[in-house]
This record gives sequence, structure tokens and C-alpha cells, in this order.
Amino acid sequence: MFEALAFYVFASVLVASALMVITARNPVHSVLFLILSFFNAAGLFVLLGAEFIAMILVIVYVGAVAVLFLFVVMMLDISFADLRKGAMQYVPVGLIAGGILLLELISIFAAWQFSPEASKNAAAPTPEGVENTVALGRLIYTDYVFAFQAAGMVLLVAMIGAIVLTHRQRPDVRRQKVSAQNARRPEDVLEIQKISSNSGV
Amino acid sequence: MELVTDFFSGLGFPQWLAMASASALQIIAFLLVVALSVAFVVYGERKILGAMQRRQGPAMVGPFGLLQSFADLLKLMGKETIIPTQANRPVFVLAPILMLVMAFTAWAVIPVNAQWVIADINVGILYLFAISSMGVYGVIMAGWASNSRYAFLGGLRSASQMVSYEVSMGLIIVCVLLVAGSLNLSDIVMADRPVWVQIMLLPMLGVFLVSILAETNRCPFDLPEGESELSGGFMVEYSGVLFTLFFLSEYANMVLMSAMTTVLFLGGWLPPFGVEALAFVPGVIWFALKVCLILFFFIWVRGTLPRYRYDQLMRLGWKVFLPFTLLWVMVVAGSLLVFDALP
Amino acid sequence: MNNFNPVEFSAVFPELFMAVAAMVLLVAGAVRGNGLTAFISWSVLATFAITAMFLLGIDWDSRTVMGDMFRMNPFTGFIKLLILAGLGATTALSVRYLYEEAMARFEYPILILLAGLGMMIMVSANNLLTLYVGLELQSLSLYVLAAFRRDNARSSEAGLKYFVLGALASGMLLFGVSLVYGFAGTIDYSAIGGSLATFDGMPVGFMVGMVFVLVGIAFKISAVPFHMWTPDVYEGAPTSVTAFFALVPKIAAIAVLMQLLYGPFGGLSAHWQQIIWFLAVASMIWSALAGLVQNNIKRLMAYSSIGNMGYALVGLITGTPQGASAVVVYMTIYMIMTAGVFAIIMCMRRGERAVESIDDLAGLSRTSPLLAYAMAILLFSMSGIPPLAGFFGKLLVFQAAIGQGFYTLAVIGVICSVVAAYYYLRIIKVMFFDEAAEPFDRQMAFAKRAVIALSVIFVLFFILKPNMLVDTARHTASALFSG
Repeated sequence: MFEALAFYVFASVLVASALMVITARNPVHSVLFLILSFFNAAGLFVLLGAEFIAMILVIVYVGAVAVLFLFVVMMLDISFADLRKGAMQYVPVGLIAGGILLLELISIFAAWQFSPEASKNAAAPTPEGVENTVALGRLIYTDYVFAFQAAGMVLLVAMIGAIVLTHRQRPDVRRQKVSAQNARRPEDVLEIQKISSNSGV
Repeated sequence: MELVTDFFSGLGFPQWLAMASASALQIIAFLLVVALSVAFVVYGERKILGAMQRRQGPAMVGPFGLLQSFADLLKLMGKETIIPTQANRPVFVLAPILMLVMAFTAWAVIPVNAQWVIADINVGILYLFAISSMGVYGVIMAGWASNSRYAFLGGLRSASQMVSYEVSMGLIIVCVLLVAGSLNLSDIVMADRPVWVQIMLLPMLGVFLVSILAETNRCPFDLPEGESELSGGFMVEYSGVLFTLFFLSEYANMVLMSAMTTVLFLGGWLPPFGVEALAFVPGVIWFALKVCLILFFFIWVRGTLPRYRYDQLMRLGWKVFLPFTLLWVMVVAGSLLVFDALP
Repeated sequence: MNNFNPVEFSAVFPELFMAVAAMVLLVAGAVRGNGLTAFISWSVLATFAITAMFLLGIDWDSRTVMGDMFRMNPFTGFIKLLILAGLGATTALSVRYLYEEAMARFEYPILILLAGLGMMIMVSANNLLTLYVGLELQSLSLYVLAAFRRDNARSSEAGLKYFVLGALASGMLLFGVSLVYGFAGTIDYSAIGGSLATFDGMPVGFMVGMVFVLVGIAFKISAVPFHMWTPDVYEGAPTSVTAFFALVPKIAAIAVLMQLLYGPFGGLSAHWQQIIWFLAVASMIWSALAGLVQNNIKRLMAYSSIGNMGYALVGLITGTPQGASAVVVYMTIYMIMTAGVFAIIMCMRRGERAVESIDDLAGLSRTSPLLAYAMAILLFSMSGIPPLAGFFGKLLVFQAAIGQGFYTLAVIGVICSVVAAYYYLRIIKVMFFDEAAEPFDRQMAFAKRAVIALSVIFVLFFILKPNMLVDTARHTASALFSG
């Protein structure tokens, strides 16, 4: 009973906040609702017994990605009304394309058939006596290690790309050199002189 | 947990009500203790800082000024809560509440003694990390909703600062996890750590201590407040009860981070250095003492160090801590593998 | 640690070596800065050579390793060698260009290396997940390379366009994969094939998924109607990058397409043949027509590559070992010819600036005759004039198509190649019969000379020993059908 109640709370808040993401007038509110929906999605994962994924969702999406999102959105001075102005003329085209796609998808899923081997292929029972964090770890780092490492290379490329396309060396800026500062000794730069009074330096 | 549940079942409660009441009781107990400890941390900070600066600190309210925090609390509650007209009202009010809620929610998984924990979940450390990374929202929301330059700058600083230091904190936690072989906080405390492993974790403790300073926006990383240049930063527009909430949550976060350090590095409720002779002291006392030690560190640092410059802060986080912790994860993992000490 | 298997490990060793080399070179570049660009470029070239040696050194027997995610067989081995050759050629060509165009940044060769790694991974994929990761690795590198001259509006535009459309294509591919998974319950190539074999009736959902996957890959090989990005990206990207785009990713994508269509989707050949038929015809016709009105040589090469993909698809559609080997031969010849042409395009510099218009080639036969003759030979070959190599590529492809009864397709192909010959011949006419324009700058890097010379020699003398390549291709392609 409690689980059903929790499910309905999480699910309804999730859907409501997801709706608010796209309808809120203020972009910052949109992002905040997005965060709320992430949070509720994490709650649903917990109910499913996938606590590791739930926590990772909160740590990665709520704790890092959405913060940067919010960071950027807060600093942008955009009015969504202006952005939407031109968008209206594309609505008919979008509706037609989306509608056709939707009809197609409905017709596919209405006639959906599974291969007789599908259930056997997809069956991946949780190993006995292992919590799902460990089971996930085994999958990622043993069975799918190749794809995991390759995905790491994809992220490396993304990082290189971001740096290549945006980083600029600015010659006119004086940079702090910590090692040079630390290496400075009083003997190198200080000279102690005796000044006799009334004669100036 | 079972003990309390049994007590309620004994009173003739049905099972689910007994469990719910037991949980509620535990939560209230935790909240009370944390809130009280916050009051005394504030008092302690002022006393210790006073001693460090050769002043007396609070001395008037109650014996030795012990009731000073409560007097302050009353005073703050009595003040008017001003919400600027241009502020974004819902977010403005939500921000401090969110921050305090996060600071208290995290306590659900902290084991203060063997079996003394509200929720003994098997991803406890991730939960703790997740909740502590949520703390940034209070600050960033407050900064934005105040509709004030100073507050906004404070919010931005805080966001980038917390995100930066979370990265290395995550890697430090990974080191501890490698050693403990579990994500459960009680298991981490009880994990069998040979001396060489403990020595290997020592540098991580150092980095962690610095990172929690940044994570809680404490001196020398209190740039989001930066009273000298931002005149209070993200909370410049707050007053009255809302300000009190920020104030409370800052100190509650300090206590939380100290508890986290205690659990991860200092052996939680176990007697120090595994001295069996000290085992007669209840675990919760050891836990409290260790938390106080870290809290003293917080205050000591505040009394000693000047504030960092912003770029220095970022340099430290990204160019020193991140590479170092990354390297250390490999060192720890590698040596555990080589010496066959993996849990 | 305890299930470490050296035999398994050896199959992925070339890829592993490339990845490690990329990271080492990246660190070297990050520490020492852009001064190392030339050094890193040559190191990347050496990496390709060493990887090729490793590849030749390992056992090419058909097997799947890494938990069945990675496949090694003569086909993937040969295609990977081809890719490495293309990568080597483009890297060699680009070193001087980077300095000439003042974009000598050390990330450039490393991105090429990583893109190459992505292609190697996607070619060896035995699982839709590996395929996707490899595809994404190469695409992401290519997006960045397209926008590499970031201060140039056209280059940035090319990068952005490529990125947006490429991301859309990836999305479609993923959507298709999810539908395939929904039907089969697996993303492993052989298991998909197996689940299809045991199913009787029309697997509608699976077919829609397959269409989406094909659309995603058609974007990558820029088959019409998914070619919109190609001319703009080819024109806007730096020429060395354009050369790279034209040479290598196409081979990888075609190889992936072959593996998918003959492997997991093999049971639905009657259905995918219609799609491929349309793609092939549309690509050939559209490239022949649109190529006629191009004045920019890079745009022209874009349409030429679209058309060439169309011809390759003609061989691919047959679904027979003969057709597959024809595609392998065609792609090899295409790569070598295109490398030569792009080397010549990169020689088109006047007053320290690159020029790209076809009119700039006017009278090249008088100003630099050797270059003009080389270009003429390559273009004759591209338009399929016997006895040059390009003719045999087309011949084999059409033979295979006719052998399987695709008469209409073959006829359309021949007509299109006649029409397309016009725009190749137009360049030759401009070079030999038009008023001589100012001569090009006289300096030519060794790499360019070498690439031009090798490609011209190959094109000219292919006829002497055609069986060398054809037999290898046949042996390679048979691996696709042996399971």
C-alpha cells in the first residue's frame, strides 16, 4: 500500500513538474521544475529497487548538470516570449510531421510482435545474493568493459572538442604564476638601506 | 530500530503504525539533537574565536554565556522578514527552507553508533553525497531570487565553487569505497583497514577537510558571502526568520560534514586507534567527540586563515585537488590489487 | 584479472594501441603546446603505421571477443587496413596545410586519430551498442574537425550543420536500435539474426527499426535524400578535413552497412533491397545532375562522393559475395583516387591563399603540366574511362547487379555515370583548353607529391594486375557470409 502511494506521489509530481518545465514563463523556473522532476524520477527508481541508479541520477543530473544549466540560464537575459514569436509559423509543419510519426508509431505498436526468442534474449536475472550496485558494476566493468572504455573515449573527444572550439589564449592578460611567486625570496627583491635623516633617499 | 518498533508493538500498535511511529520518533530525536548541537556550535565558535583573538566571547546570557545562541535566535525570530519587492517571491522563500531541509535530511543515513541509524540503506554514502550536492541550490536560488547584484554574484560563486569541489570529493569517496568495499556507511565504519591502508588514506583526509570547507562555504572559502566585497553575498537581502534558516543550515551543514568525515575517515563510533580499553565508553560519545574535533578544525581555520581569492580557489580545486585525487584513486586501487587487500 | 585472455586481448590490440597513443600524444601536446603540432602529426602517422603492423600481425580468423562485442574476421581486418591507409594519407596531407592556413593546433592530428579509432571500433562492432559508441566517437571528432578553423564563419557553419544533422541521424539510429531491441530482446548481431530466423510472419516493428537504422547510416554515407549536409560541410570545412571526410568515414560506414545488412538484417533482404535501391538510384541521379552546376571544386567533390556512394550501394544491394567483393574493390579504388584528387586540390594555392573555384584551374596544363596530367588521369578514372582503375570498380559493381537481375539499376547507373562524366571532363577542358590563369604557388610538400604519385600509379597500372585486389576482396567479402 505504501509503495503504491509513494509511486503515485512521485509519478504525479514528476509529470506535473515535467509539464511545468515546458510551460513555465520564466526559464529559471523551468530549470527548477526540471530539477524537481529529476528528483521524482530518482524516487521512482528507488521504488523499483534500483537505488544505485537513483542516487547517481541525483548526483549527476541534479548535483552537477542542472547546476550548470541553472548557472547558464540565470545569466542569460532571454525572454521566452520573443523566442516563441517566430516559432508559431512552423507549428503547422511540425504538427503534420509529428502527427504522421505518431500515427505510424501507433500502428507499429498496435501490431507489435515479439520474436519468440525475445524473452529468452532479454532475460537478465539479477545474480543471487548480490546487491544491485555490485551487479551493475559487474555488468559495466566486466561484460561491457569494451563499450564502457569506448564511451570514455567519446567523452574525451567531447572535452577536446570543447577546448579546441572555445579556448583562447589571451596574450594581453597577465597570468598568475604560483611557482614564480613562491620562488621569490626576500634577498632577491629587497634591499635594506640605511637612510641618514634629513638627506632624502 | 527494532528495539523502538518492538516497544510500540508492545503497546498494541499494528505493525505498520509501530514502524511509522518508531521512525517518526527517531527522526524527531535526530532533529532535536542536530538543532541543539547547532546552537552550541555557534556558541563554541564564538568562544573559541574569542579565545584565539584574546577576547572573552559571549559571556552575558546564562552561565558562561551558554544561552547566547538562544537569545540570538529569539532576537532573529522577532525581526521583520523583509522580502524585496523585485524579488522572485516563491523562490526567495523556498531557498533557505530547501537548504535547511537538505542539511537535516542527510542525517537519515549517518550511523552515530552501531545500529543507531534511521535508514541503513546500502547506498548510504551516495545518498549523503547526493544530498550534500543539493545544498548548492539553496544558495544559487537565493542569489537569483533576491534580484540583487551582490546576491547574484554570491550565488554564482557558490555554484561554481561547490561543483568544483564536489568532483574531488567524489574521487575521495571512491578511495574510501575501494578500501571498505561497500557503499553502506555502517560497513564503511566497520571495514577492516590495515595500518598501511589508513596511512594511504591520510592525504585524502587532508584534501577532504579542505574540500568540506569549500562545500560548506566556510572560511577561507566563504566567497559566496564575502562580506568585504559582496557585503553578505547570497544572503544580503535576507532578514528575520529566513535569515535564521540560512544561518542554521550553514552550521547544520558544518556538523553534517564533520559527521561525514568522521564516518569516512575517523572510524565513526569506534574508539580511536582501535584501543580496546576505551571500548567501555559508549560509541555515540566517541562519535560526538570526533565530530567536535572536526568542528574545532573548522573554527580554527576560520580564526587563522584569510579569505582566498576566487581564482586561487578555482585553481586549487581543478589544478591541484582534481589531478591529485584522481592519481590517488589509481594509487589506492593499484596497491590494493597488488597487495591483494581488496575487500 | 583472473579471466584475462591473451587471445581475446590480441584482437583488440590495434584499437587499444591507438587509444593509448592518442592519450599519450594528447598529454604531450597539452604540456608542450602547439609548437609540437608537426611532431604530433608525424607521430600520429607513425601510430597508424604501427597499428597497421599490429593488425597484420594478429590472427584474422573469424571470432568474437570482449564478451561478443567485438568481431575480428578477414573483412573487418581488411577494411581496417583500408581505413588506416586513408587516415595515414590524410594526416600526411594535412601537416603542411595546417601551417599554411595558420591553424596548426596539436589537437588536429589527435582528433583524426580518435576519429580513426571510432571507425575501427564501429567496423569491428558485433553489437549495436559497440556500433553506436564507435559511430559516435568518429562523428564527434568529425564535427569538431569540420569547425576546426573556428574563426572562419563558413567552417563554424559547417561544423554546426554537420553536428545538428549528425545528431539527428544518431537519434534516428538509436530509435531504430530500440525498436530492434524491442523485437529481438538483444542487440547482439548474431542473436538478432537468430531471433529473426525463428520468427515467421512480418515483423513490422523490427522493419521500422531497421529503416531507422538504415536512415541513420545513410546520413553518414550521405546517400540522397540524406545528403543535404554534404556540400555545405565539404565546402566550409578546411580542405584537409574535407579530404578526410571524403576518404575515410565513408568506407567505415559502408562496411558497417554491409555487416548489418548481410548479418542481423539478412533475413529481410527483400525489404531492405527496396530501400537501398531507392538510395542508390537517388544518389546517382542527384549527384550527376547537381554536379553539373557546381563551380567550387570542393562542392563538386561532395556531389562526386554522393554519387560514388550510390555506385557502391549498387554492388551492396545484390547481397551476394560477388557484390560484396565488388563493393570492397570499389571503395578501395574510390579511396585511392579521391586521395589523389584532394592532394591536387590542396596544391591549388595562389599568393599564399587556397583557391577553390574550378576556374582557378584554367590553363593548368601550361603552368604546371605534371599536375594537370595527374589530375586528368584521376578524373578520367573517376568518370570510369577504361583502362583506368575507376572503370573496373564500376564494371565489377554493375556486373554484380546484373548477375542478380537488377537490370534497371545497372542501366540507371551507367546513364548516370555518363552524365557525371561531363563534369569531370569539364574540369579537364578547363585545365587544358582555357586561357591560362595565374600559376599556382610553386612549393609542394613531399607528402602531396607522394600521395599524388601513388594514386596516379595505382590508377594507371591497376589493369596490369587487377586480380591482386579483386582476389583479396573476394576472400575478404566471403567472411561476411560465413557467419
